[in-house]
Amino acid sequence: MSVLDDLLLFTALASVAIIVVRRFASVSKLSVIVYALATVLLVKMSALGYGGEPIYSSFTLNVLGQNLYWRFDSLSWFFALITVVIALFTSVFMSGAWAEKYCQEHSTEAYGLLQAALVLNVLSMLVLLASGDLLSLFIGWELVSWASFMMMFLNQDKVARKAAIKYIVYAMAAAMSILMAIAMTYSMTGSLDYVQIMQAVAHLSNTQIALLVTLYGVGFGIKMGVIPFHLWQAAAYAETPGPGAVFMGAISARMGLYALIVIVVQIFSLTRVAAIEIPYTFLNMQNILAWVGALTTIIPTYIALKQNDARYLLAWHGVGQGGYMLLGVMIADSIGTAGGIMHVFNYATYQAALFMAVTAVMFRTGTSNFSKLGGLVTQMPLTFMVMVVSIIGLAGIPPMNGFVSKWLVYRALLLDGEPLLFVAAVIGTLGTILSVYKLVHNTFLGQLRLEHQDVKEAPLSMLLPMLGLVLIIFGTGVMPGVVLDWVAAAQNAVGIAPITHNLGGIELAQGGLDMIWVTGVMFYGFAVGAIVFYFLGGKSKHIHQFDNYAGGHFLTSKVRYHYSNHFYAGLMHLIGGWYKDFFKKLEQALVSLVSFLSQLSENFYRSAQPAVLVAAVAFIALWFIMSSFSMPADTGTVAPITQGIQGGLPK
Amino acid sequence: MDNIVLLVVLPLLAAFLMPVLARFSEVVARVLGLSVLVFAIAIIINVWPQVNSQATSIAIGGFMPPIGISFYVDQVSILFALAIPVMVLLFWPWQRKTSIREYSLMMLLTASSSGLVLSGDLFNIYVFYELLAVASYSLIAVQGRAVSIAASFRYLLMGSVGSVMMLLGIAIIYTQTGTLNLAHLSLLAPLHLDNMAGLAAFALILVGMGVKAELFPVNNWVPEVYGSVSSNLAALMAGLLSKLAVIVVVRIMVLLFPQPEAMQLMAMLGILGVITGELVAWRARDFVRMLSFSSIGQLGLIFLAFSIPGDTGMMAGIALALHHMVVKPALFMLATGWSGSLENLSGVARRSPLTVLLFVLLILSLLGIPPLPGFWAKYLLMVGLAGQDSAVYTLGMIAVPLAMIVEIAYLFRLVMIMYRKEDTVKVKAHSKWGLAIAASAGAALIAIVLQLQPAGDKLTTLAQQLSDRNYYIMTVFPQFHTAETGMQSIK
Repeated sequence: MSVLDDLLLFTALASVAIIVVRRFASVSKLSVIVYALATVLLVKMSALGYGGEPIYSSFTLNVLGQNLYWRFDSLSWFFALITVVIALFTSVFMSGAWAEKYCQEHSTEAYGLLQAALVLNVLSMLVLLASGDLLSLFIGWELVSWASFMMMFLNQDKVARKAAIKYIVYAMAAAMSILMAIAMTYSMTGSLDYVQIMQAVAHLSNTQIALLVTLYGVGFGIKMGVIPFHLWQAAAYAETPGPGAVFMGAISARMGLYALIVIVVQIFSLTRVAAIEIPYTFLNMQNILAWVGALTTIIPTYIALKQNDARYLLAWHGVGQGGYMLLGVMIADSIGTAGGIMHVFNYATYQAALFMAVTAVMFRTGTSNFSKLGGLVTQMPLTFMVMVVSIIGLAGIPPMNGFVSKWLVYRALLLDGEPLLFVAAVIGTLGTILSVYKLVHNTFLGQLRLEHQDVKEAPLSMLLPMLGLVLIIFGTGVMPGVVLDWVAAAQNAVGIAPITHNLGGIELAQGGLDMIWVTGVMFYGFAVGAIVFYFLGGKSKHIHQFDNYAGGHFLTSKVRYHYSNHFYAGLMHLIGGWYKDFFKKLEQALVSLVSFLSQLSENFYRSAQPAVLVAAVAFIALWFIMSSFSMPADTGTVAPITQGIQGGLPK
Repeated sequence: MDNIVLLVVLPLLAAFLMPVLARFSEVVARVLGLSVLVFAIAIIINVWPQVNSQATSIAIGGFMPPIGISFYVDQVSILFALAIPVMVLLFWPWQRKTSIREYSLMMLLTASSSGLVLSGDLFNIYVFYELLAVASYSLIAVQGRAVSIAASFRYLLMGSVGSVMMLLGIAIIYTQTGTLNLAHLSLLAPLHLDNMAGLAAFALILVGMGVKAELFPVNNWVPEVYGSVSSNLAALMAGLLSKLAVIVVVRIMVLLFPQPEAMQLMAMLGILGVITGELVAWRARDFVRMLSFSSIGQLGLIFLAFSIPGDTGMMAGIALALHHMVVKPALFMLATGWSGSLENLSGVARRSPLTVLLFVLLILSLLGIPPLPGFWAKYLLMVGLAGQDSAVYTLGMIAVPLAMIVEIAYLFRLVMIMYRKEDTVKVKAHSKWGLAIAASAGAALIAIVLQLQPAGDKLTTLAQQLSDRNYYIMTVFPQFHTAETGMQSIK
């Protein structure tokens, strides 16, 4: 029994246990213990985070001539660590006060199902991350898809259900694309084992590689929600019950990136992909993938800007941030991929914290609609602090961890001589900064609404995981070397030169990054400012929340003022014309096409003259045969009738 | 071993005896039918180990083939021969007070379908096929509703034109070769059937058998018939009878027409079946109608799989056929309580959560979600398609995934309706028997998942036996040591 066996077996048994006790209140404690123990098991495997040899599971399956096996390498371990740790934080978040309220509003059964869905998600992700060949990858992939579906299915509202069914159709399209690719890989290389495929790839033609990369890319890309498959994700994740959204938003879509790294980077290798020129353009396959990443950072981020619901805004951001990861990985040098892979970790921490903060606000106020929020900073200061730290991370501003990974991506783009992609990434970041400001302003700033005057700070059980995540966001921002160790090991595992780094950041001849130094300077600056302000005669005055003005017009404190409607009116005036719902219309057109074809087929099945039809079909079949059959020259005449059977058969 | 013949003879006798016996004692007549079925199962279980080790050919009445008529028993045909009495028993019209005529027709159906899978020559295949057709027309009409009589008439029209086509095909083969024994034909085929006339014969047989096998485009009787008969009969027809016709077509194709043109014709019709079936099911607003069109789609998949040259395609075909044989009847059993508009099912999951879960399990397997058995079948199909160069198979490779996406859309739209909050259920309770069958089908799927390795091995053996032409010839004519010597002696 290897440690991996222990981990998978333990999680599987834990899933069964959680499903069995789902009706009891103790399920919330149980799940916390489960994820804590799973984390311990992952820590036992921590050699993988520092370049250890892969760990194999002793369970294998031989079916239809294929040998399925499961293993953990450094990359899987990195993703698994994020998954389990986020699950741990989520389970603490949903254990105390939140559980009580949810049980009251719905039922203990519903809460138990949420816990079950969470643990099944974790289990399926671990199975996917452990996959050692294409078939086990596909099995894991489908398990993840259906576990996600189960999570989305828990919300019974119409909007959520609509999002869930949209998701499942997209997920099936992804699965079918991958299955096609797997079948073609098998017929081209004769194997489904990673190592053997890697050897066979050298003999494949460029067209074949291009076809495979496209099919795998579409499949994995749908999960990541890249352009043009971005429509399903935001609603599906935002509508899951609070903690579900925390977990799904933080890590679920990254499984697509994991698979993409394994297949496209590790097996096909990006140098091979880059060698494929797209005819009639100056681009190659790698450029295309990078541009998909860049567009994914831009379009969903600006869609996020327009959202009027905190959960939707965050979920749309999640789609956009996936673009940075793809972009980073597709740059293919050690800095870029490090940025892309590291962003998975950083993103998971702050996205989880943000969703938790929004869920906490919803917990206290009952809404996440911007028009019904505002001014909560006086009531929920700690939640506000959590959100501020997290959005600094999301916007990629030092000293939080999001800055480091984005810096790496930018740096790699510049060093690589990709100015256009760089500009695209910067435009995406601009949208991020604008929309996270909208998030924090509309929720916490401005004047408090009358109905929220009695709102209290989030309960301790929800605050603790948020604060814990804040510590991680800040800690790994100041000392990115902790994460970069694991990232370097993961890079090594997929055959990319690992990034040279130290505790504070990276060393680079053209100018490295030392976050300890950056943070030091920043806090030094703050300290100087504070001294100037408070001690050297700077006057400061404390202003009450309700003591402010709007457009020069004085408002009494009876009229609460909060600017949240038509936010960014000026900007929207400029870019509003671009929101044409092009992709939505494309999607609708596809549905219409299916509907049309379906009617056409139905007309056939309603035909009134079936017997004539049979005759016609027989005629067409004969005609098909006659026209396609190429007659051999020498036996062109009708074959002779044999003289019965007496001639040939011995008795 | 020779008592295999009883599988056909006994039900046939019972079918004709039952109405007569019923004049004296109805109870005895009814018991007779059931006991014949049980006896048939016992016979098959008795010869099972023998067949597992070695296929055999049984000459009826002691006349050796190719003059005498023969039964061919290998692992594939014994498996389907076992499925016939078992499924007839399962879907026996227990629930209703039925006339003895219906029982008698069921026995006729058993006899003719057993004969169909076991026959080793084209003439008997035709005879049993006609018998089967007559039995099924009457069984549909005997349901007594006006719609079912109309549906039966439609089916009759198509079926009779189809059997004329088939007879024509058989006639062409006979004029070309002078024999109707499959093994003998298989020896002669490379010489005499590898030409335009031979292929025309295949096309005619394909269309003729296709009526029963729900082959596109001779399948437009399907929705009306399944919609108007009892769920039991629909389950039997969709689950069992269609597969028997497919197996016979595949046997004929493997032995007589291994030409790429023949395979591609079948592949093309299979693809069209998948696409149209799934598309129309997407529009269906009625549970049984949806299942019928989904069945057309699945049969299209099966045809496509069998048309792929090589063992992988054969394995995929058998896997898909067996899988559909388990899942579709189970779904039709669930339809006993859920028939009618889909909207009637709104919120049904609150009332019967376990039944809905069972439904979800069945459709997940139907969609091919790993690790359920349906996935492995679909995986084999895709691998088989990917291994072919011809454009038809590439088309199939594109069409099958698209059809699956349409399929998941309509199946999960239904699941969403079932899990709605508001409870406006207007459905009856399921019969206990039907529910038990559906549940055991679900259990069977899970059992296969737990026994993937042996199931895969068995599938491989079945596929090898079904696709091995020489093995067939050698079994029927043990005097030849190889197919080549057989060929020479024919010349």
